[in-house]
Amino acid sequence: MATNDNQEVQSASDSNHQLTADGKNAQMIICPNCRCKILLKKTAELVNTDIFLPYMRVKKNTSNQESGQVDGEQLSQFWKVDNMFTFENVGFTKTVGSSIKYLICADCEIGPIGWHDINDKTTFLIATQRIHYSD
Amino acid sequence: MAKSYDYLFKLLLIGDSGVGKTCVLFRFSEDAFNSTFISTIGIDFKIRTIELDGKKIKLQIWDTAGQERFRTITTAYYRGAMGIMLVFDITNERSFENIKTWIRNIEEHAASDVEKMILGNKCDVVDKRQVSKEQAQQLAAEYGVKFSETSAKDGHNVEEAFMTLAKDIKAKMDRKQQENNNGGGSHSSPNVHVGSQGGKDKKANANRSFSWCTLL
Ligand SMILES: Nc1nc2c(ncn2[C@@H]2O[C@H](COP(=O)(O)OP(=O)(O)OP(=O)(O)O)[C@@H](O)[C@H]2O)c(=O)[nH]1
Ligand SMILES: [Mg+2]
Ligand SMILES: [Zn+2]
Repeated sequence: MATNDNQEVQSASDSNHQLTADGKNAQMIICPNCRCKILLKKTAELVNTDIFLPYMRVKKNTSNQESGQVDGEQLSQFWKVDNMFTFENVGFTKTVGSSIKYLICADCEIGPIGWHDINDKTTFLIATQRIHYSD
Repeated sequence: MAKSYDYLFKLLLIGDSGVGKTCVLFRFSEDAFNSTFISTIGIDFKIRTIELDGKKIKLQIWDTAGQERFRTITTAYYRGAMGIMLVFDITNERSFENIKTWIRNIEEHAASDVEKMILGNKCDVVDKRQVSKEQAQQLAAEYGVKFSETSAKDGHNVEEAFMTLAKDIKAKMDRKQQENNNGGGSHSSPNVHVGSQGGKDKKANANRSFSWCTLL
C-alpha cells in the first residue's frame, strides 16, 4: 500500500462533497487512509484559493529530493475553519519556511491534508481532494 | 460563535531524550503512514477530541525535546500547560532518576496547579528492564502523582494514560468551579475553561524565540 508513488489516495464514491444550504460541509470529513474523524458536519466552509501542497506519497530517493525540491501540486478547493479547536482530530507539523504549518491526520499521520499560515490565526484549510466523507 | 466543546486542555510530554515521548504521542495508530515529507519536518502538536462524563474535551498535546540543551528552556515551554506527562524509559535507569530533575523544573517554571503523571515507557522490552514497577510507584507516591507503564510500540496503556490525565484535570477544574460558585453566588458556568494564566506566565514572552523545530 505504501509503495504507490506520487499518487493521492482517492476513491470516487466517497470523495464527492455535499454542501448544506449555507455552504458548510454536509458530511463528516474523515481521513482517506484510516477514517479518523477530522471535522464534524457543518463545521467548515468551502472556499476556493490556490495553494501548493506537497504530495502525500513521495517516492524515496527521487532526484528531486536530493535537490531539496518538494514534489507537489497546486490545489484550489478547501474546507476552511477559523479556529483550530474546531477540528476533532488533527496534527500540525512544525513551521516550514517562515510561517507555514501543514495539517496531517492525527492518527495515521498521512499528509499534508491541509495548510495553515501562522500569521493568519483564523484560517485553517483542508484540501477537498485529500479527504473522504462519511455520514 | 458557539463553542463546540466544553473543555480545552493543553498537555505536554517531557522527559529525557530517547525515552519515547514522540512515539507515545505520535503513533497511537497501527496503520501509521510513512510520509518522508512529514517525518522530515516533524510534528509540533496534535489536537484530539475525547469525551468524559458526557463532556467534550479538546486536548492539545505538545511534544518536547529531551536533549540537555533544551532543559534551559523554561517558562515558554510550560506556558498554559494544564497537564504534563513525565516520561521515562524502564530500560534506562538514568531517565528514571532524571524524573526528579524534571519535576523540579516543572515546579520552578510551570503553573503551580499543573496536573502531572509519570509514564514508564517501553514496558514491552522485558529483558532489558532496569526500573521496577515498584520503584516507580514509590516515586510517584512521593510526589503524589499517578503512574502507569506504557508501550508506545504496542500501544499498551497509552490512550488510557491520556484519559486519566484529562480526567484529573477536569476533576480539579470542576472542583474549583464548584468552590467559586459556592463563594460567589449564582452565575452560569462559562462554557470553556482555559488554564490559569498565573503570574509566572508573564515572563513567557521574553522566551518566544524558542523554536520547537530543531529536533529531527
Ligand atoms: N521497544 C520500544 N521502543 C520504543 C518505545 N517508545 C519509543 N521507542 C524507541 O525509542 C527511541 C526513541 O523514541 P523517541 O520517541 O524518538 O524518543 P523521545 O523521547 O521523543 O526523544 P527526544 O525527542 O530526543 O527527546 C526510538 O527508537 C523508538 O523506536 C516503546 O514503547 N517500546
Ligand atoms: Mg522526540
Ligand atoms: Zn488517518
